[in-house]
Amino acid sequence: MSAATVGAPTAVRRFPEPRGLFLAMLRVHRSALLFWAALVAVAVGALLWALGPGADSAWAEYRASGCGGDSPNLGCDLPGPAHGRYDTVVACASGLLAVLPVLTGAWAGGALIGRELESGTARLAWTQSVTPARWLAAKLAVPALLLVPGTLVITLLHRALWASDSHLQRVLGWREWHDDSVFEANGILATAHPLAALALGVLAGLVVRRALPALAVAALAVMALVYVLDDVRPHLWPMPPGTPVLMHRHPSSHFWPLQLVETGIVLAVAALATAASFALLRRRTGAAV
Amino acid sequence: MTDTAIEAAALGRRFGRRRRPALDGCSFRLPAGRVCAVVGPNGAGKSTLLALAAGLLRPTDGSITVLGQAPAASRERLAYVAQNKPLHPQLTVTGTLRLGRDLNPRRWDAGAAERIVAEGDLDPGARIRSLSGGQRTRVALALALGKRPELLLLDEPMADLDPLARHQLMATLMADAADRGTTVVMSSHVVAELEGSCDHLLLLGGGRVRLAGPLDDLLAAHTLVTGRAGDPLGPHTVVESRTTGRQLTALVRPTGPLGDGVQGDRPSLEEVVLAHLRSPDAPPLLLDAREAAV
Repeated sequence: MSAATVGAPTAVRRFPEPRGLFLAMLRVHRSALLFWAALVAVAVGALLWALGPGADSAWAEYRASGCGGDSPNLGCDLPGPAHGRYDTVVACASGLLAVLPVLTGAWAGGALIGRELESGTARLAWTQSVTPARWLAAKLAVPALLLVPGTLVITLLHRALWASDSHLQRVLGWREWHDDSVFEANGILATAHPLAALALGVLAGLVVRRALPALAVAALAVMALVYVLDDVRPHLWPMPPGTPVLMHRHPSSHFWPLQLVETGIVLAVAALATAASFALLRRRTGAAV
Repeated sequence: MTDTAIEAAALGRRFGRRRRPALDGCSFRLPAGRVCAVVGPNGAGKSTLLALAAGLLRPTDGSITVLGQAPAASRERLAYVAQNKPLHPQLTVTGTLRLGRDLNPRRWDAGAAERIVAEGDLDPGARIRSLSGGQRTRVALALALGKRPELLLLDEPMADLDPLARHQLMATLMADAADRGTTVVMSSHVVAELEGSCDHLLLLGGGRVRLAGPLDDLLAAHTLVTGRAGDPLGPHTVVESRTTGRQLTALVRPTGPLGDGVQGDRPSLEEVVLAHLRSPDAPPLLLDAREAAV
């Protein structure tokens, strides 16, 4: 006799199971969801402003001070207030992407997993009709599904900004394509890094099982990962023989090869952490399915 | 449909190699439809046993089956309320019940859950973090009963409640369980609160089963003996004997008629439990319901 027919269930099956689990995740982590939505809105707003009025007024100021012509002018290296605003806003938007992995990892370790194991609400979920493995799958999938579109939108806007205003940025912003924050914000790494941080945070939460220590361990693990990646990045794609291996020595045509190799590494880290999380949970609860 | 709610065979669970096992070689059978008390001192293994039955822990030795299947496979058919009544503090009472609906799509009975909450005069819009201990317990029970479980596992359900709330919740629980023939297993170290509501007993001590069986049969198997010091207790199994001056008091399992000059009384549940807890070396008594029913 199958479980579904025993005990004359009184409730009509309203939703297929994954939808119920999805709704439950949104309900429990509503404040984190709102925080993420606000973060994306702020970054999108900042980049849209920089693309439109911000860039216009920075250019106007630049030209008004007699720069932009052919004659060299030492005063053109000093940004005016309009450019200062432009630069600050762009730095905030890409800085937000830069801190997103640490934020994601800390939240995943502390609030998503660690707190649930510490307070016992994870066991509450596992004694509803949800297996621990499905619970963990939802804990990984729902944040990932929300992270990906948000980071992609920010990246697309950042690329648009970089394409239209690269001259402005280079003339006055001292920003180059190979700067860590620019390199990450302009490609799929802006999406891959938070995903790996999510997986590492979940693993830290499952290992440590307490909210605050898991938050700290996850944040440290993500910081270490990002630090190591920044360090090895120039070595990820071969240079022409005889050139020293430094990021700014790479031709800009190496942008996508470098992005893809690093994305592969980061996603492999995410996959390993995810597999370890499932194995650990399975060993502890002994639950199949 | 199986008539066995829980069956354990040489069940053991240890946490860490160096520590004493929390449960060690436990074997017992609980028939379906019973209200079973799991009794024992702190650290006896009650919570570990309930977590094993709920499929939250994997046994390190032996096996346990629940409703005829592995506990993990019976997940939909059982409900479990942990000792600290974990609930999400940021959710409202209504939100918590919606969580139950979302996570039990095939079984949820919203009416039953809402009725239990309404009986406690709870504001459905109140956040869990603003509730008192008794109110939280009520919401946790509503979540468990809304699932319409065939087996309800309660770990110290009434531990932090005042006597009035305890009485009300126990009545709610027992009425619901009786209506639907739910098997209830609840642990407690307060023996007195269980006597009126349970018909089956599992006494744990030091991770082992000390007594198991239908409550009436277990009580009937014991006699409280009073006599003069030095009276022989003969062939009977002595659980505990104490002499105060010239007075002898003993709890025995008689194997035949008591001797002359010795008076035997039917012991209370509390006397049987306490005598076993005071003498950890007394032999265990396991009565299978199938044999005892004959």
